[in-house]
Amino acid sequence: MSDALARRGFEPVMLKALGAAFMVFIIAYILIPVLVTLVMSFNDASMIRFPINAWSLKWYQDFFASPQWTDALKSSVIIATGTAILSTVSGILAAWAFERFPIPFKNVLYLLIMLPLFMPGVVLGLGIAMTFGGVQIAGVSIYGSRALVMIAHSLWAMPLVFMLMEATFRTVDYRVVEASYDLGANPLRTFIEIVVPMVSTGVISSALFAFVISLNEFVMALFLTDRDTQTLPVLMWLSLRSAGTPRLAVASVILALTVFACLALILVWYVRQLRKVSRN
Amino acid sequence: MTERTALELENVRRCFGSVVAVDDVSLAVAPGEFVTLLGPSGSGKTSTLRLIGGFEELDAGAIRIKGERIDHLPPYRRDTATIFQSGALFPHKTVAENVAYGLRMRKVERPERDERIRQALDIVRLQGYEDRYPSQLSGGQKQRVALARSLAVRPAILLFDEPLSALDLSLRLQLRGEIKRLHDELKFSAIYVTHDQSEAMAMSSRVAVMNKGRIEQVDRPEKIFHDPANEFVFTFIGESCCLLVRCSGTDVTDRNGQAIALSLRDSLPEGDSRLYIRPSRLKLAAEAQGLPNGLTATIHFIEFLGDVHRYHLKAGALEVFADHAGAIGHDVGALIDVGWRSEDMRVFR
Repeated sequence: MSDALARRGFEPVMLKALGAAFMVFIIAYILIPVLVTLVMSFNDASMIRFPINAWSLKWYQDFFASPQWTDALKSSVIIATGTAILSTVSGILAAWAFERFPIPFKNVLYLLIMLPLFMPGVVLGLGIAMTFGGVQIAGVSIYGSRALVMIAHSLWAMPLVFMLMEATFRTVDYRVVEASYDLGANPLRTFIEIVVPMVSTGVISSALFAFVISLNEFVMALFLTDRDTQTLPVLMWLSLRSAGTPRLAVASVILALTVFACLALILVWYVRQLRKVSRN
Repeated sequence: MTERTALELENVRRCFGSVVAVDDVSLAVAPGEFVTLLGPSGSGKTSTLRLIGGFEELDAGAIRIKGERIDHLPPYRRDTATIFQSGALFPHKTVAENVAYGLRMRKVERPERDERIRQALDIVRLQGYEDRYPSQLSGGQKQRVALARSLAVRPAILLFDEPLSALDLSLRLQLRGEIKRLHDELKFSAIYVTHDQSEAMAMSSRVAVMNKGRIEQVDRPEKIFHDPANEFVFTFIGESCCLLVRCSGTDVTDRNGQAIALSLRDSLPEGDSRLYIRPSRLKLAAEAQGLPNGLTATIHFIEFLGDVHRYHLKAGALEVFADHAGAIGHDVGALIDVGWRSEDMRVFR
């Protein structure tokens, strides 16, 4: 009897301890590479190598003084912004149509929309590069342009936005939409004034997810950019092969910080909405 | 005709697949009239309302508002305003913004808009709540905002879609009184959908009783109650006992053929019939003396319901219940006389 009781007391403690240990392991697993990169970015030496003998901000200075690196950062941000806009708008519209209207072969269509997400980046990148390799519009080469990379990245970002927003739209109380029609607002007005604000958390999250996906993407960008439009991950890859200076670590830190900032924004917005809903 | 009706339904029909939800419904609402669609769930009352609001499409018939056909128009082009069961307030807009919405859509300009918002909130007694969000309001307050939002646009007709059914009883009674007061003051035209008889009786100028997509009877509440047009209306409105009897020659029996001590002033038609009487109209024991119709039955059990005692009686296979103010001093198992006036009884074959 007491034996059984003791065991019952013991098991939860054991489980809790194991759970905690596992969590620590996961956090360490995720954080250690980031922390190593962070530490390395303050290295004074000109090689990525431990031990670190002297600390300095010199590689940060170097990063921001180099037009090549700041241009790559600028390229990354422009492409990510474009991707976010493109995939958020198209993904939201597709999801709303999907949720609202009877569409034939919905399941097949759903798979079709999600398909690019499962395609290897190499396949998409190479395919797009071959397709648009020599194409020019009004004398401007499509290949190597940022617009092409935005569209390519949207292949991955749009399905994610679509998936997220489709689930979000399902939570919309349709009576509220009807109430808006009832009071004289046409469908467009209703969508902009009533539906979108009701799903603002979903919109912000999917836009930032799209932004992050594009920022992180490397393979397609490698296939589709040239010297003038290369993104930060591409430049990092290329310069790793020539000279592995701590400048690379600085670039990593900046990329990682941007991603963290986006996640933080999503969280802040989410908490704000939660508070709004349960204001009393 | 054009000036005299706020809303007119003419042979309106709506099917969902093979189910006829609204079947050949015709109804005219005069300006300032408060008409209730009353019926059990699935009787087509909400579908009828949604057809008027434009949320369902008509299969046949016509809908006119102030004489003009509107059944081809989308909801946002119709001069109707619906108060939904859930209130359906815009959650991210304040009370004032909710009320302003319809006015903005109708391009009512600033000073007048503010004035009408103030009036509407005044009417529903929610002054000072302008800056609250719906999540900060109680259920009753939400419905009052919904009402203000619809009243503010001054539609040709207000459509109520069971607006009180989600509220608890005391709040329901209070809001019911308030809607009635508003109607008396403002004289708006309205169609009110409910499955609650007392709501329908208390508020309406006229009641339309619906069943299986059809209107069974449209009349003033008193007429509906006292002079029901058919068996459905009689049984649906108020309480009633049903006596299933069989008549062959001069013998009256229950459906099993067992003789019962039933005496009626007018003879029944040959064969099976159903006799309906309201329990409040049945007289017991000494009070039953001298009434033209009577039945002798055994007391099966007695329920105390507060104001009245309800006597459940049995005679053969017949079961009736009679309400009597106070106990009558008979016990379970005793034989008792029941009597009623002829005008309180209905016979259907």
